[in-house]
Amino acid sequence: MVPASYYLILSAILFTVGAVGVLIRRNALVVFMSVEMMLNAANLTLLTYSRFLGDVQGQVFVLLVIAVAAAEVAVGLAIVVALFRHEATTDVDEANLLHG
Amino acid sequence: MILLWLILWLLSGGLLAWLLSRWRAVWARWVSLFFTATYLASLVVIWILSPEAEEAGPGSWLIDLNLSWIPNLGINLHLALDGLGLLLLLLVGVLGVMTVATSWTGAQERTGFFHFNLLWILAALAGVFMAMDLVLFYLFWEMMLIPLYFLIGIWGYENRVYATLKFFIFTQAGGLLMLLSILGLYFAHGNNTGVYTFDYFQLLGNTVPLATAIWLMLGFFVAFAVKLPAVPVHTWLPDAHTQAPTAGSVDLAGLVLKAGAYGLLRFLVPLFPEAAGRIAPAAMILGVIGILYGAFQAYGQTDLKRMVAYTSVSHMGFVLLGVFAWNPLALQGAVVVMIAHGISTGALFILAGDIQERIHSRDLERMGGLWSTMPRMGAVGLLFALASLGLPGLGNFVGEFLVLLGAFQANVPIAVLATLAFVVSAVYSLAMIQRVFFGPNREGWDLPDASPREMGIWVVMVVLIVVLGLYPRPVLDTARPALEALQEYAAAGEHVEVEVGEASWLGSTAHGSWDTAVDGVDGGRP
Amino acid sequence: MEISLPTFDFLVVAPEIVVLITALLVMVVDMVIGREQKGRLAWVALVGVLAAGALSYYLWDGSDPALHDMLAADGYALFLNLAILVAAALAILFSLEYTGRVGLAQGEYYTLLLLSTAGMMLMAAAINLMTIFLALEILSISLYVLVGLNRAERRSAEAALKYFVLGAFASGFLLYGMALIYGQAGTTSLAGIRAAVQAGGEPSALLLVGLGLMIAGFGFKVALVPFQMWTPDVYQGAPTSVTAFMSVGAKVAGFAALGRVALYAFGDLQGDWRWVLAVLSALTMTVGNLAALRQANLKRMLAYSSIAHAGYALAGLAAGNAQGTSGLLFYLFAYAFMNAGAFAIIIAAGRFEGATGGGETLDDFAGLAARKPGLAVAMALFMLSLAGVPPLAGFLAKLYVFGAAVRGGLIWLAVFGVVNSVISAYYYLRVVVSMYMREGRPAAVPAPVCAGLQVGVALAAVAIVLLGLWPGPIVDLARVAALALLGG
Repeated sequence: MVPASYYLILSAILFTVGAVGVLIRRNALVVFMSVEMMLNAANLTLLTYSRFLGDVQGQVFVLLVIAVAAAEVAVGLAIVVALFRHEATTDVDEANLLHG
Repeated sequence: MILLWLILWLLSGGLLAWLLSRWRAVWARWVSLFFTATYLASLVVIWILSPEAEEAGPGSWLIDLNLSWIPNLGINLHLALDGLGLLLLLLVGVLGVMTVATSWTGAQERTGFFHFNLLWILAALAGVFMAMDLVLFYLFWEMMLIPLYFLIGIWGYENRVYATLKFFIFTQAGGLLMLLSILGLYFAHGNNTGVYTFDYFQLLGNTVPLATAIWLMLGFFVAFAVKLPAVPVHTWLPDAHTQAPTAGSVDLAGLVLKAGAYGLLRFLVPLFPEAAGRIAPAAMILGVIGILYGAFQAYGQTDLKRMVAYTSVSHMGFVLLGVFAWNPLALQGAVVVMIAHGISTGALFILAGDIQERIHSRDLERMGGLWSTMPRMGAVGLLFALASLGLPGLGNFVGEFLVLLGAFQANVPIAVLATLAFVVSAVYSLAMIQRVFFGPNREGWDLPDASPREMGIWVVMVVLIVVLGLYPRPVLDTARPALEALQEYAAAGEHVEVEVGEASWLGSTAHGSWDTAVDGVDGGRP
Repeated sequence: MEISLPTFDFLVVAPEIVVLITALLVMVVDMVIGREQKGRLAWVALVGVLAAGALSYYLWDGSDPALHDMLAADGYALFLNLAILVAAALAILFSLEYTGRVGLAQGEYYTLLLLSTAGMMLMAAAINLMTIFLALEILSISLYVLVGLNRAERRSAEAALKYFVLGAFASGFLLYGMALIYGQAGTTSLAGIRAAVQAGGEPSALLLVGLGLMIAGFGFKVALVPFQMWTPDVYQGAPTSVTAFMSVGAKVAGFAALGRVALYAFGDLQGDWRWVLAVLSALTMTVGNLAALRQANLKRMLAYSSIAHAGYALAGLAAGNAQGTSGLLFYLFAYAFMNAGAFAIIIAAGRFEGATGGGETLDDFAGLAARKPGLAVAMALFMLSLAGVPPLAGFLAKLYVFGAAVRGGLIWLAVFGVVNSVISAYYYLRVVVSMYMREGRPAAVPAPVCAGLQVGVALAAVAIVLLGLWPGPIVDLARVAALALLGG
């Protein structure tokens, strides 16, 4: 059996990749995908613990997160479309009317 | 309840003036005059009815009102009045009536709001002089800032916005430091005794360790020093005074500065006697620096109001000196200086305002030779300049002389330095009169002399300053029990005898010395 | 096999259910009424919010019922419900005329407003990591859409995108933190985590990392430094009525959950998180105030000011004692009135002719006192209260939290707070200066102000005066609420 730490390390790597992706990628769609990766890294952690603790709460949680993530992405894409109508771009750096 | 009513009376007067001014602007003036005059009258009644000072024992409070307010946080609506508070409330009343009268033809724009602010300043000051709960005190302390801020900011002169911001930030910074100290005291006292309270009387004699007490005391000191103002935190004052309308200057110089002095007397030393003893020499030196620095600065000004403002710095230095000498003579002197300065500087600002109304300038270079065209105002100006330089027979002399006597008991070198003040104040006072009223009338002014309304104001002020100078006994008698009580509070809270200069700090509250104080004053009569 | 359905005590979540049903009702009514009658939707929403408020108040009998380790209707939740519902009710009053003027789709607007209100209330009631996450997402997703609802305005869409990206980013942190905590404690229930922490002795590193990630996640929501960078852009770009709502509601909800997690679940690890929160608090107020000093756009200035206020409120939490907790609650309650009120004046000013800055710049406020004395007085009250001038609510709130910080031994933090209050006075007063001491442009003609907005502003102004002068009842409630959290 694969030890729990393998899963945890993998999810930590996924989470980091996702977080870094949000910070450095400019395309809104790629940013969304990175966010998804962060959420799924958390899901993997939850599932790992759920399995090793023999506790079902973690799996319930993951189902909820998957549903929420779907809703979130739907709204996110809608926002990108709205912005796209003003300015035909998906580059988040182009959204620069607001600044200090 | 009468104490609360006094405050509410002024507050509601302000609201009424604002409301009525919507129909007729002049109603705001009459309403304000009525409310301030009745306020003053009721205080005079309280003064007359209050028991003879000789009979009242130390610590006897004339009136006390203690209502529950926010019991969960230990905050009470605690107002109390003793002789010291009564004198200052009377000063509030007198100068209140004067400011309404002196701005009778001024403040043509938004007259109602002007009088609203005027009366709310007075109400907040009345609250400051009566509050015996530290949070309540802080509340009134800050409450007087806002209307004053509007008063200067809306009806002030050319550079008013800068002056108001500077004034507000300075006093707000000081006030918030005081708030921190109040909180610190609240918890230090609560941790020691299990009683969490902001009540002044319960906090007296607190057993906060000296190291903590010094920090707490410094928070209060900064707040009071800013208001007083003491050098080097006085810089807001010349700007605020110069830019303020006449009523604002009078309230500021006559009353608001007294709040700082009052705070030192009422709160700082009695709450932290030991810690105050530690900084007493430094504070006295600050006082002397203020006296001399203010005087020198005053001499160098070309703006009449700015000049008077610096004389305030100088005079209030005496109060700082007197409070920290903390013996009967010095304390009585400090109280008399507070009152005399309120009247004399108030009068000088009214004078400056009246002149500005006529020639639309405060520039001393443009004045000169005004005596020939306005002899009555010249005479009044001369009288108050003489008061300012400490001419015996006028109020300021009594106070400053007593402070110096007291200071000599506490610390001779400092007192000697302070004595120089009589020389320098003579120089700037006479220079002021010289530049305004004498010399050639360069601009060829031909101005109307004081109107009956203005003369009425002057007569009252002149009578007050002369009576205070010749027969200060009623004032001293009223203040004495309160001051004795303050000394006893402080002595009770003291653990270790701390030496200050040659005289022992807080050492003697012997009653004999109180009598000499009064004798000393009588001896000063010309 | 017999399946036994769990019992479900609807009464525990009655206020939340009322708000949700109202949201659905608005959606339905929106479909059946004509285009010119859409304004009535606001009244439906308002009735729902007021009913929920009344329910919250009457539910409060000190019995602290809970729903299956998921939601609780304890004093803490009910008190925060009141603050959230105040914000929602004020926001609805402020939206009456504004939504029409800006051209927001009213059906969607009020539905989303109510949904995010429900999310906030659930967040205050949540006692399980799952419900916290769900509630947070309900409120956040609704707010993402609300921020971008003004489709004619590019800034609105931009703000929505920024808010969305950073909000989702924060959700990721929060969720990952929750996962780690779940792994260490073996349960998602806050009570279970508390028990595990108490039993566990020395906390494991992963548990602390999990807590840290959660603090970061909440930090985004309530705009703590260094997670605050989205705030000014989003507050400025969003429709002003939405800003008024979210600047209060989202903050209250974020603090509600943070308070529950830190004080209740991790109450025994105070030594580990208190200093973190204290440092964050000091940083937040300082950065917020210093940045606010330089703003000419009022919405942006208030955005930075709201960051600073998050810092002040956090000081109450960092104090870690009962007084700090009740101070935090009182602070949030007072803040709801003064901050929402300030945005309402901006909404009103946007209608003035010649308001070149859309009512958002200091210039648009010049001479307001002469043209609209009532609004000017209210705005002055809001600004002074935000600056912490007695006897207004903002003063007492600061006194409360700084007092708690001193009591908790964080004297340096109280000093920071006081110094910051002085700094903040400068920029709040600039607004007052502009209104009272500068001449307005002659072209700037005041327009009549919608009655609903006037009522809302008047209520908020009266509330901050009353809360300052007669805070006894609310202070009592806040204490009971804090004890419900800490005593349990």
